[in-house]
Amino acid sequence: MASSSGNDDDLTIPRAAINKMIKETLPNVRVANDARELVVNCCTEFIHLISSEANEICNKSDKKTISPEHVINALESLGFASYITEVKDVLQECKTVALKRRKASSRLENLGIPEEELLRQQQELFAKARQQQAELAQQEWLQMQQAAQQAQMAAASASAAQQAGSSQDEDEEDDI
Amino acid sequence: MSQNKDDLASSNKKTISLPISRVRLIMKSSPDVSSINQDALVLTTKATELFVQHLAVASFNNGSGKETNSLSYSDLANTAEETETLHFLTDILPKKILARDYLTSLEDFQEEDADF
Repeated sequence: MASSSGNDDDLTIPRAAINKMIKETLPNVRVANDARELVVNCCTEFIHLISSEANEICNKSDKKTISPEHVINALESLGFASYITEVKDVLQECKTVALKRRKASSRLENLGIPEEELLRQQQELFAKARQQQAELAQQEWLQMQQAAQQAQMAAASASAAQQAGSSQDEDEEDDI
Repeated sequence: MSQNKDDLASSNKKTISLPISRVRLIMKSSPDVSSINQDALVLTTKATELFVQHLAVASFNNGSGKETNSLSYSDLANTAEETETLHFLTDILPKKILARDYLTSLEDFQEEDADF
């Protein structure tokens, strides 16, 4: 395919990206391989066309960097004015997304609550958790104790019953 | 629901499929182009996407493959020739001819020489 001569002019959009776009645009259409290759090259040509035109427009203005405005004017003068609305929409969308992302991260940092207060709340939560754990442990211990006591009592009454049985015999003798 | 359809259409429009970094590289390989604002780059990338779609659809509609649901090289070449805004593509779009036609015309040419 493209020789790795490192020549700038061999730069193209990756074939896979173009294939995907063609498939989404013309679903179920068989596109010849050489046609696909042609589309790839047309892309590069288009980009050069826009860049050159935008660059010229940029040079005529006092700016050194090609701005969105330059690109839009280039599209207009080259006959691609029909692209302008959609292209602007995408730019707006990208900016909105970027803005939301920045806001979201700063929202996390800044819930309006100062750091010491956040720290205090954290400590409170920890203390509560520790307390709950302690209470739970205590309950368990109490239950164990009770169980042990019951076991003891059961054992005691069992042996008491045994003793009671043998002392009854003695009593009978005394009565005579 | 209509909202779903709108979402699909808008998500189609509002995301970019082509790699922006590659577009930047290609732009910079243009003579004299120095620096490009990031937003300008986004615009160019999206415009290129629209171009691909436009070229594909126009060539298909204009072409001979509609019945067979196919798109050929000559469909593209013809459409580019017939559409004024696509004339910038003529340099990279030589109309292909069959090898045997070329060889035949070459023979004819040589024959002419021979007569001489």
